Amino acid sequence: MNKLMKIAVREFSSTVLTKGFIIGAIVIPAIIAAAMPLVIRLIQKAEEAAPIVDGTLAVIDRTGGDLTGGDLTGPIGERLSHEDGSVFEPGGIDPETIDPEDPMSAIGQVTGARSTINLEVLDSATDVESERDAMREAYREGMTGERLGLAVIPEGSVLGDGEGEFPQVEFYHRRKLDDRVIGKMRAAVTRTIRDARFEAANLDRDRIDAISDVSTQTQEISETGEAEDSKAAAGIIVPVAMLLLLIVSVMTGGQYLLTTTVEEKNSRVVEVLLSAVSPMELMFGKILGQMGVGLALLVMYSGVTIIVASVFGLASGLVTPELITGLIVFFLIAYVTMASLLAAIGAAVNELREAQSLMTPVMMTLMIPYFLIFPISRDPNSTLALVLSYLPPVSPFVMVIRLGSTQPPPLWQTASAAVVGAIGAYAAVWFAAKVFRIGLLQFGKAPDFKTLVRWVKMA
Amino acid sequence: MPSAIAIEGVRKTFGEKVAVEGLDLTIPEGRLTGLIGPNGAGKTTSIRMIMSILFPDSGRLEVLGRRSALESKDRIGYLPEERGVYKKMKVWGFLQHMAALKGIKPDEARTRIGHWLEKVQLPDVGPKKCEELSKGMQQKIQFIASVIHEPDLLILDEPFSGLDPVNMRLLRELIREQHDRGTTVIFSTHVMHQAEQVCDHIVMIHQGQKVLDDSIASIRAGHEPTAIVFEPLDPQASIEPLERVEGVQGVAQVEGIYEAALAHGANGGEVMRRMLDAIPLARVELRRPTLEDVFIEIVSGGTGDAALRAELRGGSGNSETVEAGA
Repeated sequence: MNKLMKIAVREFSSTVLTKGFIIGAIVIPAIIAAAMPLVIRLIQKAEEAAPIVDGTLAVIDRTGGDLTGGDLTGPIGERLSHEDGSVFEPGGIDPETIDPEDPMSAIGQVTGARSTINLEVLDSATDVESERDAMREAYREGMTGERLGLAVIPEGSVLGDGEGEFPQVEFYHRRKLDDRVIGKMRAAVTRTIRDARFEAANLDRDRIDAISDVSTQTQEISETGEAEDSKAAAGIIVPVAMLLLLIVSVMTGGQYLLTTTVEEKNSRVVEVLLSAVSPMELMFGKILGQMGVGLALLVMYSGVTIIVASVFGLASGLVTPELITGLIVFFLIAYVTMASLLAAIGAAVNELREAQSLMTPVMMTLMIPYFLIFPISRDPNSTLALVLSYLPPVSPFVMVIRLGSTQPPPLWQTASAAVVGAIGAYAAVWFAAKVFRIGLLQFGKAPDFKTLVRWVKMA
Repeated sequence: MPSAIAIEGVRKTFGEKVAVEGLDLTIPEGRLTGLIGPNGAGKTTSIRMIMSILFPDSGRLEVLGRRSALESKDRIGYLPEERGVYKKMKVWGFLQHMAALKGIKPDEARTRIGHWLEKVQLPDVGPKKCEELSKGMQQKIQFIASVIHEPDLLILDEPFSGLDPVNMRLLRELIREQHDRGTTVIFSTHVMHQAEQVCDHIVMIHQGQKVLDDSIASIRAGHEPTAIVFEPLDPQASIEPLERVEGVQGVAQVEGIYEAALAHGANGGEVMRRMLDAIPLARVELRRPTLEDVFIEIVSGGTGDAALRAELRGGSGNSETVEAGA
């Protein structure tokens, strides 16, 4: 037992105290975590500021002045130049927003908001085909072209066809145009038409807006009976986070185990070790050492996750002791199962390269829950979820998804799935022990599964 | 004398291939035994079974009075044929790890490692990584790992392979020293004269079976000379006539020395006289049988096989069979 611990300690420290591990498992995730708010901020910024484009929106208005105010092109032009936020702001300086400490920001306002789209009014009798051809030609020649869009507003767009139906507005735009620019152009047209329809129907637009806006404040009742802001959106995040935490911690330890086993075999240090410890002490020592690595990652990553979650006020109520217990129990089951198989593979092959083909079934085990995460988390008590819960080696991965979902399985299911998973882990250990003992001193041809089975029978 | 190793009727197969067949072997405590035989004879398999790294298909094995070496691993030192170190580990760390696995306390291990590094003339390599060492140095480090816990039984599988003559001598002295300390030592080699230089007892294995188990002195006493060493007076002269001398089975030049193999049962004195009659010779003498002669006599039934002989000398390219009329 003592020797087993020594093997485990060496396995753990020789893995954790390497530059590769510290950078890969700690520094990079830390940088990502730290950069996350910045990235989110940048994404939000980018959402606000569309790229600067100059050009025209051509409008063919065939409504023929249905309204008292004349045709629609006037209001559309006004919208293009004034409304809908920064993209179409005229290049002026807003004295209200200039920071007196930073006069340069005024320049930024001027240069940054220079995106201008001018209205180009076409005669109502214009041939649409030829206009489209013209746009295509212009695009083909210079990739740009003045005209960004073309809107054709058919007759009856405001007043209807007399039976309450309205015709469709044709809207064309140049290829490779930012979706926000397209959206603004389209909005300028459609909103103008909508307002015109209200006016034609003698309706007050502001009144209608007020009537249609039913505002709600969604809250959820927690166990303590207090009302809190709804976290329903987190319903999908928790199972995903649970599964990813499990996969990362199991596979980091497992991969290291595979690598060190192959290295020990390949460098022939293994026989020296076998003169001091039994193959089983070696295997379990290594599995235990890498379990420490996986567990350390699990604790570290889930700790960070919980801290981040509580910063956003999502932790309470979502991260329960049951969830953490479940995660740890199913980590142990999943890890022992996967690590045993990987140790066996590592002992069987001569080089890491040869391990690839034997790894496929192991990787499949991870891919199944990964692909099924949405169906399982949306319907965690479905037959599919239930069957997979009792199917080692997939079961622990499926169980953490179910545990994290909005309808966690009943305790008896969790417990029985853990028992079945433990039996699966035991079977994997049994298989691995035989392959490991024989494989370690077998060199030569890369083994396939048939060979492994033969070894199991032999041992 | 109690036996350090007792093997009875052990058999081991790998698939179709029989590696060890009906091996009986008793090694008393304190003896320095050489386990010899050509490549693939079953030496390493036997050693691995003694170490409980492999398990026999049938037969009985006892090591240091226990049914398995696993029960007394801390009393056994083992230098495997396939040598390896943790490449990225420092020499100190590697030896400390090995010592710890053998149950040595860290303080004690530190003292012993320092002492041993001095002894193998590598006092400064402690802080170096194992991969920075040459093969020969790594081998010495591994030898330290096998003796650091002062074992009662030391098993060395091909300990001399890859060492230069200076280090070979050093290792020979160290093995002797372990033997003098009272340790039972077994080492295997396919180079027979190494065994002759170190051991007092020889076990020969051929095709998975033990063919000889005796002390060097009685092996020599019990075997007739099998070869005549000679040197032609004129180095350019053809030695072809000797091929036809009665009682000579073949003439070969091995490592620059001419040897005429004696036919089974031939009288050495008579043959020497006839050889002198055939061509003028500067020197001719009956060669005392070496281990390899004995071995070849045993495995070939006295026919004298130059190729096998060359392999057992540890060389491959430095022997040549002299063609008739060359």
